[in-house]
Amino acid sequence: MNSNATTAPRTWFRENILLGMSWIDYAKSLLTPFNAICAFICVVGIPLLLYRFYAGLGATTNLSQTQPWGLWIGFDMMTGIALAAGGFTIGAAVEIFNLKDYHAIERPAILTGFLGYLMAVVGLIADLGKPWNMVGIFTYNGTRSVLFEVAWCVACYTTVLFLEFAVPLFEWLGMKRFYQPLRKALLALTVLSVMFSTMHQSALGSLFIIAPGKLYPLWWSQWIYAFFFITAVVAGISMVIVESAISHRVFHAQLVGRHVDADALTLGLAKAGAVVLFAYFFLKLQGVIDAHAWGSVKGFLGAWWLVEMLGFILLPALLYAYGARNRKVKAVRVAAVIAVLGIIVNRLNVSIIAWDYANPNHYVPSWMEIWVSLTLVTIGVLAFRWIVNRMPVLHDPADLAAAGH
Amino acid sequence: MTGNEFLSGYPAKLMEYALAVGYLILFIPFWRYVQGAKAARQRVAAHAPARAAAPSGLAGWFHVPENVHLHPGHTWARMEQDGSVTVGIDDFAHKLIGRVAALALPEAGGRVAQGEPAIQLAADSKTVGLLSPVDGTVVAVNRAAAEEPGRLEDPYGKGWLFRVKAPRFAANVRQLFSGAAAREWLEGASQALAARLSPQLGHVLQDGGTPVNGIARELDPEHWDEIARTFFRT
Repeated sequence: MNSNATTAPRTWFRENILLGMSWIDYAKSLLTPFNAICAFICVVGIPLLLYRFYAGLGATTNLSQTQPWGLWIGFDMMTGIALAAGGFTIGAAVEIFNLKDYHAIERPAILTGFLGYLMAVVGLIADLGKPWNMVGIFTYNGTRSVLFEVAWCVACYTTVLFLEFAVPLFEWLGMKRFYQPLRKALLALTVLSVMFSTMHQSALGSLFIIAPGKLYPLWWSQWIYAFFFITAVVAGISMVIVESAISHRVFHAQLVGRHVDADALTLGLAKAGAVVLFAYFFLKLQGVIDAHAWGSVKGFLGAWWLVEMLGFILLPALLYAYGARNRKVKAVRVAAVIAVLGIIVNRLNVSIIAWDYANPNHYVPSWMEIWVSLTLVTIGVLAFRWIVNRMPVLHDPADLAAAGH
Repeated sequence: MTGNEFLSGYPAKLMEYALAVGYLILFIPFWRYVQGAKAARQRVAAHAPARAAAPSGLAGWFHVPENVHLHPGHTWARMEQDGSVTVGIDDFAHKLIGRVAALALPEAGGRVAQGEPAIQLAADSKTVGLLSPVDGTVVAVNRAAAEEPGRLEDPYGKGWLFRVKAPRFAANVRQLFSGAAAREWLEGASQALAARLSPQLGHVLQDGGTPVNGIARELDPEHWDEIARTFFRT
């Protein structure tokens, strides 16, 4: 930091937004290869997103009347919502099941969840168009529709996540009057988050129940809603492991002096991941038997289904178990990455790859769809970094106070 | 559903039941494998000499190793590699009573019950009882300690008192303090003891010095056994 920086007045804006640097120093600190790549993605992606609203779906996507759902639903919505399930999974562990050790990772999990939902909603709006019509879901009484349930639950849960996230936000802003009642309400908010998540994570799967002929039989099951919920729990656990491993590396400076045994938490999560994935593997087999679909284990989709079952469900289950038993944190992290990829693969299989499988003109997303999805993920990552660098997310001031700091 | 599909329901049901049973059979070893890490650690701790583990667990004046479970009556229990449970008195009890003249232990083959008197310590023609931390049948008695009570100087090591076959250990252990909870509880007990100390004794103890052995006798040579009984809950 140069002398100019040290002599400039130390305002709140400078301390809390510019991280104590002058404008020039702050701008210089942003010049990194990672930021350059992110900037390139966003500079192309944001205009593409606006172009979609100007020119419509036909000009930007490969969607058609026979394939109305594409990458923005299959990846941004279906996958994004599942991967953002860490908020309710860890929230429930800490606030409801009283596993207080996991409190240390509750805030980053909630933030990941909140940003994940926000980006999923943006992806959904990109798919739907006409954002101003979204109010319709609150005024139209379509209680028999699964989409109605998904829309209401996602809207309510995003609000709950915002209120949970508001605790560190108001702490950062120094607004004690606001954050203390919210802190007290955290248990109630967690109960709501578990309720809404259970409803819409499974409802996203229920959307496919009405289409047994369109979805390849190995993925279609009358229990698909249960599979979606269980995989959301797996995704939540695995994302928290991956995210805390990255946070430990990237935000190391913030963790100095904290006595959280992150490895013990990772190993604890691995046990949960192993057991849930193991049970899920057998439930999936049960689903195939129940749908009389053994005959479909043939051809490309049959082989691809086996890859998902063995490589993305059974393998991470065994690797989690191995890591948890032998206290190998690295093995657990590898298992978490495989499990996260497995969830992405599963959601893309259900909503795109094995969907409408008999159609000779099968949907392949356009480059613009992929770029917009990539842009949304990038914005989510950048927002996470911006917030963690400023707000008390990786550390809870109350913990520090209790520890006598 | 056509008739054909209806018939195919039978093998499907059979497969479903077989899968469910197979899953349950496989789940048990899987669960034990996943949960095994903690047990493995406990086994390692049991292998290590108890004295080696002791310095890590200082609860103020009194120490407690990581691998023992403390009973509120100041006795301890430790699961051994062969599945038996070793019982002894904790450092607090040892330092409270100090030098012991004689020691009465249950006979091998006899039964002990959690919370019931099992050990008698005698000194100065007074005796004090201590409670068993677990239920079970006594399988071995430390004769050397009974004959030479000086071994109690090492309460978690050479000063072990008897071994029990404890079929209800999992249930018993819920009533005991382990790890951080044990240290916290022992800290509470030492504070309760400190509150009883007279100012004359205070300069020995409350300035951070380690308590002398036989604190109860220092406190009240006439009625030390009553003080001990309040702490030992007998």
